Amino acid sequence: MGMRFKVDVVVDGKCSGEVIIIDKYISFFGEVDPFKCIYKPLEKKLVDKVMVFRGSRGSTVGSYIIYGLKKNNCNVKCMLVEEIEPILVAGAVLANIPLLRLINYNSFIKYVREGYRIKYMRETGEVIVEER
Amino acid sequence: MYLNKKQEKMLEGEYGWVAAKALEVIVRVGESLGADKLVEINHVHVSGVSYTNIGEPGLEFIRDFSESGGKARVYTTINPGCIDLSGSSKIIDSSLRDKQLMINSFLEKMGFKPIYTCIPYLYRIPSPREHLAWGESSAVIYANSIYGAYTNREGGPLALASALTGYTYNYGLHILDNRRVSIEIDIDQIKREHYGALGLWIGYNIREIPMIKNVIEDYSSIKIMLASSAASGSHGLIVLENITPKNTYLVDNRLESVTVEYRDIEEYIGTPPSKEDTVLGYIGCPHLDPYEFIEIYRLLLGRRERRQNKYLLLSIPPLYSRVFSREISYLRKIGVDIGFGTCPIVSRLRQGFDYLVTNSGKAVFYMKNIHGFNTYIASPREIVEMIYG
Repeated sequence: MGMRFKVDVVVDGKCSGEVIIIDKYISFFGEVDPFKCIYKPLEKKLVDKVMVFRGSRGSTVGSYIIYGLKKNNCNVKCMLVEEIEPILVAGAVLANIPLLRLINYNSFIKYVREGYRIKYMRETGEVIVEER
Repeated sequence: MYLNKKQEKMLEGEYGWVAAKALEVIVRVGESLGADKLVEINHVHVSGVSYTNIGEPGLEFIRDFSESGGKARVYTTINPGCIDLSGSSKIIDSSLRDKQLMINSFLEKMGFKPIYTCIPYLYRIPSPREHLAWGESSAVIYANSIYGAYTNREGGPLALASALTGYTYNYGLHILDNRRVSIEIDIDQIKREHYGALGLWIGYNIREIPMIKNVIEDYSSIKIMLASSAASGSHGLIVLENITPKNTYLVDNRLESVTVEYRDIEEYIGTPPSKEDTVLGYIGCPHLDPYEFIEIYRLLLGRRERRQNKYLLLSIPPLYSRVFSREISYLRKIGVDIGFGTCPIVSRLRQGFDYLVTNSGKAVFYMKNIHGFNTYIASPREIVEMIYG
């Protein structure tokens, strides 16, 4: 059994997969390429990944970029964040990408490593981290 | 979420499929954020309309609402798209013209006002405590901070949904208790030509709602500072001492205090280009207000030829083609490139440049990321002299 972390459900849905750790406030417009499915500042590929980041910032076009990730089949499994704001939530709702707010983001980020897998357990409101 | 009878009927389809679908999106987002009810709004400003930025998925999203008969239920204005509407810019690329004009026609068919500018307050000035649903982060922060209006930073699609319903969710900056200052920032040592860099510093370093002390009362420079902080950060409201209307914000009893010095913002200013560099001088992010436009026109009066490899681009609301036609034809004659209803952040460029020199921290933030330029922040006078000598 892996470590468990409590989450608030912002946009519900199934979520499990390998994490990609960004740990920053993302400006989806400018920093995320929805055609190549990458987070540009760290050149990280988002396809089939669970995105872990602090929150969003920057342009209000961000919602369309998140929607574009879905339409372009980037298949982001879900998003685990510390903070939410309307631009992020609107994008997640439209794209049907589950969005979960970690109650203790800092403990999670200290524990988790790139490549670990997580699974969201709706019944208990937790994500379980499985080490590689 | 509590819905009144009219809202329930709208959700059930009594006002048509489009309004029902749009309200469903607003309710879902509102409930996800924990909003208790909806609020009526008086003005929507729709961002996320540039084909370069939103591509085919965004175009389809807008087309679905438009072709299904969606109509604006409140006064709604449109942000800049990706083409120069005058068709004369040699710097802004026009290869996506057909796609952009398609988006424009979908929006206009829904009754949205074709202002194509990021300064919608040029057309309609918000009142204190008036609820709005604005996209375009630079306009949102200006509405909240200068006019004391109440709007969140609405994502493009949500602003569109608000236009079609007349509602947004009661959350965030729509609630006085969330408009609470918890830190004060003294900017007395910062010159106005560095307000773009100052805005970037605020966005990168401050998460709370700050109160700015000792701001220079020059609204064009303040506009640039606010836009820059909304780009590098997620600010929707920055309280400006003696400017932001009273009773539109609260102040914590104990405030942390910070003083910003030149050395704090130096890294955001950057270093000037060399003579050999191909330079894009750019002024107009956010779009030039009429005072700035005239100031820049005066700076350019009597200039003759651009230096080699040096270019100057201004971005302005299309409205100015009528108001300032004489000034515009002079500027074109001396080789100034003018983008109407667009800007280089939401468009592609026809050529590459080594350097961007601008007074806008917002332009620096995005054009570094999108176009990969080296950047330098300077005053309009310094920019004009660099380009024209």
